[in-house]
Amino acid sequence: MEEKDFKCLRCGTISKFPYEKGVMMERQCLKCGSNSIRLVKEKKKEEKKKE
Amino acid sequence: MPQNDLKIGVFVCECGTNIAGSVDVDTLVEEAKKMDSVVYTAKNRYMCSEPGQQEIKKAIEEQKLDRVVIAACSPRMHEPTFRECVSAVGLNPYLVDMANIREQCSWVHMEDREKATKKAKDIIKAYIARARYLEPQEEKEIPVTRATLVIGGGIAGMQASLDLADAGYQVFLVEKEPALGGIMAQLAKTYPTMDCAI
Amino acid sequence: MMDVGRHPNIKLLTCSQVESISGYVGNFHVRVHKKARYVVESECTACNDCVEVCPVIIPDEYQQGLSSRKAIYIPFPQAVPSAYLIDMNNCLGTNPIACGKCAEKCDKKCIDYDMKDEIIEFDVGTVIVATGMDVFDPTPLDEYGYGTYENVITSMEFERLLSAGGPSDGHFIRPTDRRKPKTVGFIQCVGSRCEQRGQPYCSNICCMNTIKDTLLLKDHYPDIEAKVFYIDMRAFGKGFEDLFKRSKEAGVQYIRGIPGEIIEDSKTRNLKILVEDTTANKMEEHEFEMMVLSVGVTPRLDMPEVQKLLTLSKTPDGFFMEAHPKLKPVDAPTSGVFFAGCAEAPKDVKDSVTQASAAAARAETLLAAGKVKLEAITSELNADLCRFCTICAQACPYKAITVDPKKKTISYIEALCKGCGTCGAECRFSAIKMKHFTDEQIVSQIDTYLEEDSYDKVIIFACNWCSYAGADTCGGARLQYPPSSRLIRTMCSGRVDEKFVLHAFRKGAPMVVVSGCHYVDCHYIDANRWTQKRVEKLWDKLERLGIRPERLLLEWISAAEGRRFAQTMQDIEELRKKVTKEEIEHTIKILTEEEEKERQKQEKLKK
Repeated sequence: MEEKDFKCLRCGTISKFPYEKGVMMERQCLKCGSNSIRLVKEKKKEEKKKE
Repeated sequence: MPQNDLKIGVFVCECGTNIAGSVDVDTLVEEAKKMDSVVYTAKNRYMCSEPGQQEIKKAIEEQKLDRVVIAACSPRMHEPTFRECVSAVGLNPYLVDMANIREQCSWVHMEDREKATKKAKDIIKAYIARARYLEPQEEKEIPVTRATLVIGGGIAGMQASLDLADAGYQVFLVEKEPALGGIMAQLAKTYPTMDCAI
Repeated sequence: MMDVGRHPNIKLLTCSQVESISGYVGNFHVRVHKKARYVVESECTACNDCVEVCPVIIPDEYQQGLSSRKAIYIPFPQAVPSAYLIDMNNCLGTNPIACGKCAEKCDKKCIDYDMKDEIIEFDVGTVIVATGMDVFDPTPLDEYGYGTYENVITSMEFERLLSAGGPSDGHFIRPTDRRKPKTVGFIQCVGSRCEQRGQPYCSNICCMNTIKDTLLLKDHYPDIEAKVFYIDMRAFGKGFEDLFKRSKEAGVQYIRGIPGEIIEDSKTRNLKILVEDTTANKMEEHEFEMMVLSVGVTPRLDMPEVQKLLTLSKTPDGFFMEAHPKLKPVDAPTSGVFFAGCAEAPKDVKDSVTQASAAAARAETLLAAGKVKLEAITSELNADLCRFCTICAQACPYKAITVDPKKKTISYIEALCKGCGTCGAECRFSAIKMKHFTDEQIVSQIDTYLEEDSYDKVIIFACNWCSYAGADTCGGARLQYPPSSRLIRTMCSGRVDEKFVLHAFRKGAPMVVVSGCHYVDCHYIDANRWTQKRVEKLWDKLERLGIRPERLLLEWISAAEGRRFAQTMQDIEELRKKVTKEEIEHTIKILTEEEEKERQKQEKLKK
């Protein structure tokens, strides 16, 4: 399965998790254990680069 | 819309020292009194005890209470107790609500009495606010047809069918194949007894 | 089997499939499609006359294709019902000119080529799903050469070869030269415990099955040399270790290591393997005259049909999901439906029987009472506000909401609703009222909590079964955490509407937490997937509005995870402290404007 970058909103750690469009998955931050794992959107990455 | 002409009773439990030990129960009672529609307040050493329940029942009857908030332990612990208690004097069981000031307050903020009391006050007030919108609910009952469908005639399906049939119920056993037995009927012997499968 | 066949309370329908089940707990209506047997079941005496004259010869499924049967046949001698049937896909006789020999021969005239399929309908109060399992087919694993090398057989074929009623009358022979082999090797975990090839789980029965097979072999033929290649031998049940010991005492060798491939010697048709014995840490070569693949158990291929009939769910292993893995292991999430046997997970005979009796007892609890109490906390639709977007029907884990696309109406089956409230949270038009957890009730709690000093309070939505219970567990253990938390109980996290979260922020909450059960624990099948989807959308929305998404957290906390609850509260307190009063006031301003815009939009729509 494809892996994408996700950001933990509780501790800020960015890690890779399996991702499939439209499929819900339980993700847990390996550092703090939070489930507030948000997909890092491609667009945002580009914007950051520009900055 | 909230109902305004309500008569809410608030009962605060000390739970021995479990609640009273880290929360100021008298302050809670005073704060509850100030809330709209609250017509009756009381505290008790053990609200769930027989005398505690009697106090609730008496207040409902004498004060004609139509909503009850009990600030005590978790509803997962005593909600059934208090629902039964209020039903006994004719109040719909869904018109009683519990404010959890023990598991989620007095037991977890034991070192800061002032802040624990402030939180308990908030919890009680939130449940009094919620009580204004409570509505009676009905637990409906529907009849059950005394028959069972069993899908699959392997060992599990056969055993379940026999148990129910022996108990006197009609069983419909549906098997896709032309014969009963499933996978088990193909085994030479079965463990742990090492006997014949058929 | 005989007991089932003759029991006055059991109506046995073979060659039958359930076509549809409608209704709900206590009141299911069932339609069964019974295929024609072409032999009158009640008249047939199983005299065998018809079989003798049948000219068609095809492989016998019961004997794993190791011998043959006719087109008119009985699956096996002890079969119940004890009646023949015609396999119409292979029979020549639908046109009497073509054949018709069996009908001519039958004295009792019980063969009827014109027999029709039947539809049988009846009502039941409960349903037991005992659909069983399939045996893993090792053909795709070409390293073992099953299907190419004739002397490689599966454990199921082994059963038939050793059975007195089997194709060789109980004589153990190897397929290529029909003589007794001197050496037999067994390979364990074929199709089990492997992510890529087969199934990732342990099939539960194969270790004990092989131990049994080796004992049978040694009982009949003490001179046959038997070796078993394994990853772990799992003999965990009552009396199992004894059998394992007996097998070793009988001279069976157990070697820890799985061979990479089987190579056939083209002359002798013997089978060679190379294996690493991981206990001795050395490579070994072995040669066998015959090899048995100890194949695992897989979910049945036709499971989706049954799943659809009863709106059931599957666990990741592909078997049916229980209402709760520990506390309701035989109940399906659909009320009035129970599991028995391998439909729920791979099991041996004893465990299947145990679960079957448990399922029967669970069903009886309802049948004996003769009535069932429905959930009082259910949802209610206000048809006047409904815009027919049908999201509620998609979100309902129990299919309690049905859509009529022609009439454009939505209807509720109250008996199916379990009260998770996901439909209410998904409805964008406030057309659904979730009883006992109404919008007004929840909003009134938020308002009261945030009336004073909102900036030092964290709003936590907690589901009744897991995270609220987890907070209780935390209290029971007296684990201390900062007193900033303010909990709001819902039955399921699926109830937490987007508008509750936004309302809390608008009323000045620095942090909002949505918490519920871990995926496997969700008490409403999969309602918490909708929670996650909603929170993910909210993160985007908050960001769009210029509010830091980090202020909204999603946390799965089980009833047992008191420590996790306390830790979460401590971490969140640190995050709360970082939210300044200015930031909160800015958020209030943004969301108040947003609310006003929304209000104006709604008014326009009304006009």
